[in-house]
Amino acid sequence: MDVSASKVIGVTNLVKTYGSVKAINQISFEVAQGEVFGMLGPNGAGKTTTVEIMEGLRTADSGSATVLGMDVSKATRAVKERIGVQSQSPALFPGLKVREIINFFRSLYKKSVPTTQIIELAALQESRDVLFRNLSGGQQQRLSVALAFVNDPEIIFLDEPTTGLDPQARRAMWEVIQTFQRAGKTVVLTTHYMEEAQRLCDRIAIMDYGQIIALDSPQRLIDSNIRESAIQFKMKDYPGDQALTSLPDVSKVVREGDDIIIYTGNIPSAISGLLAMASHRSAELSELSVRQATLEDVFLKLTGKRIRD
Amino acid sequence: MRAFGAVFVARYKQFIRDRAALFFSFIFPIIFILLFGWAFQNTDTQTFKIGLADEGSPQIAGAITLGLDSVVLKGDQKMFKTQIGEMEDLRASLEDGDLDAVIDVPAGMDTMGPGESDNVQVFYDASRTINQQTLTPALYQVISRINQELGKYTPPIGMEQKSVQSHELRYIDFLLPGILGMTLMFIGVQGGLPVIQQRQAHIIKRLGSTPLRRSTLVLGDLVFRMIVILASAALIILVGRLVFDFQMIGNWLSLCGIILLGSLVFVSLGYLIAALVKTQESAIPAIQIVNLPMMILSGTFFSIANMPAFVEPLVKILPLTYVNDALRQIMVAGTPMHSMTTDIAVLAAWAVACLAVTIRFFKWD
Repeated sequence: MDVSASKVIGVTNLVKTYGSVKAINQISFEVAQGEVFGMLGPNGAGKTTTVEIMEGLRTADSGSATVLGMDVSKATRAVKERIGVQSQSPALFPGLKVREIINFFRSLYKKSVPTTQIIELAALQESRDVLFRNLSGGQQQRLSVALAFVNDPEIIFLDEPTTGLDPQARRAMWEVIQTFQRAGKTVVLTTHYMEEAQRLCDRIAIMDYGQIIALDSPQRLIDSNIRESAIQFKMKDYPGDQALTSLPDVSKVVREGDDIIIYTGNIPSAISGLLAMASHRSAELSELSVRQATLEDVFLKLTGKRIRD
Repeated sequence: MRAFGAVFVARYKQFIRDRAALFFSFIFPIIFILLFGWAFQNTDTQTFKIGLADEGSPQIAGAITLGLDSVVLKGDQKMFKTQIGEMEDLRASLEDGDLDAVIDVPAGMDTMGPGESDNVQVFYDASRTINQQTLTPALYQVISRINQELGKYTPPIGMEQKSVQSHELRYIDFLLPGILGMTLMFIGVQGGLPVIQQRQAHIIKRLGSTPLRRSTLVLGDLVFRMIVILASAALIILVGRLVFDFQMIGNWLSLCGIILLGSLVFVSLGYLIAALVKTQESAIPAIQIVNLPMMILSGTFFSIANMPAFVEPLVKILPLTYVNDALRQIMVAGTPMHSMTTDIAVLAAWAVACLAVTIRFFKWD
């Protein structure tokens, strides 16, 4: 994708330090108009800090962030006027009704969409006169996401928008995001759900320790990082990384909890090697499965962590 | 302006749905006024039983009886109930506490010529403050009126005594400004709580990603709180007026000025708590630590003159002491403990100090 032609977000060499911890270190990327741009990373990787700098909630120690052609640190309010934000914590005024909260947010912007449209988006038609504190967790989450659309924004920033939603509501939310994208608008999405990222995102930045360690489309991330298949199993008495990597055709070993994953380009050869080793050591093998590599495997391979830590 | 209105309306709607806030702002002060006002009402419209011993001057004794009978309190109640009898018996009743005072009219007063004079003797229990404050001045007025009539002496400058009561300080006059000061404190300091709650729930952070300015957020909140304070003050004064005939004698503008200055101090104290305390759980005890000592020590219900000496240094630094004092000076012109300039200077210093510390330590997230 030719990003720079229709760039709506440009981030260059961002650095942000909290005390002695570098939350983000030399982050640079661009987002094109109409893209759904995903950010993946373990907790503490620096996703939220990066997003909050783009939203004008924080200022970077050095580097620059440009949104819709404006320097965020200088034209902060003008940027906020044209972006929509959903933050990880869905809390809003507990003593206001759904309708009142939407009207409150509408009056903070020069431009806004009708209240009924936001109520529909949140699927809260039946609860428009319910106090926020009396909404269920899922309803609160839906309102929080829908409010990001209240000013008819050109870019929306969604921070884990489907966390806490049931599968049906999650699919509905995906539909909303895709409709928004079809209207030529841009989405920056952080998520814990690999399926969500793989399905929605045009490109994904994988972050770890305050840096972007990979940035590409989901399919190319998989193809370029893992040309192999994954063999996943549990084994009593872990034989050690050394023993497993020395099996025929095994390129990489990853452990996560009890699960052991080995990656191979030659499934029969790796499996027979594994079985031979297991019987030689009389180690018990269980829950053995062979599958295509997914984004999850890419993430695991690059960061050494599962996303939901 | 639209954003300011939105913040204001949002605060209003949350407020009217918050029973605790409504209670502390409006019901609580009224309960205190009614409770304490009624409990101490008897000392307000005190009546006295007077014994009169005529030892041979029936004309003067009759004049005094008439004079005492003519002193009428609100509701046509007579201030004095007179009982005529022998000196011995009356003295005994006085010592038993059945009478409040005994007047002894000696013989020969009826036949005094021009220029002659004699004294009636008044016996009473001087250890009872009510006697010193109310009884003796009232008796003195009765006697001097009789003197004028008997002497047929018309003073060149006349003075019409409208009411024996007009300058008399009743307990409600003391209580009501104190309750008002206490309410300013409750509403003001309590205001730190929503700030802490909204910060803790990341609502303030969420608002930070909209074009809403923080100054607008603070201003909308502040203006709303000031209106609540003024409404509560109006209600307190109205109830005082209707139930206890409380008269606000000072200037209304000065009153508003002191109310706003006092509120500024307490609102700043609330923000100071929000600057130093992070969670709602620790905010509630923090607010009580600020409020309770002031409620008790700053002369809200009883005069600080009666406080034990060891709390005096504390009493003298608490801002509510000065708010109460200034309110009393304006509303009932009671004896000032401090000059108004002292009150204003101390309160301004408090406001500046609180705001300075708040600005230094306050965090929005």
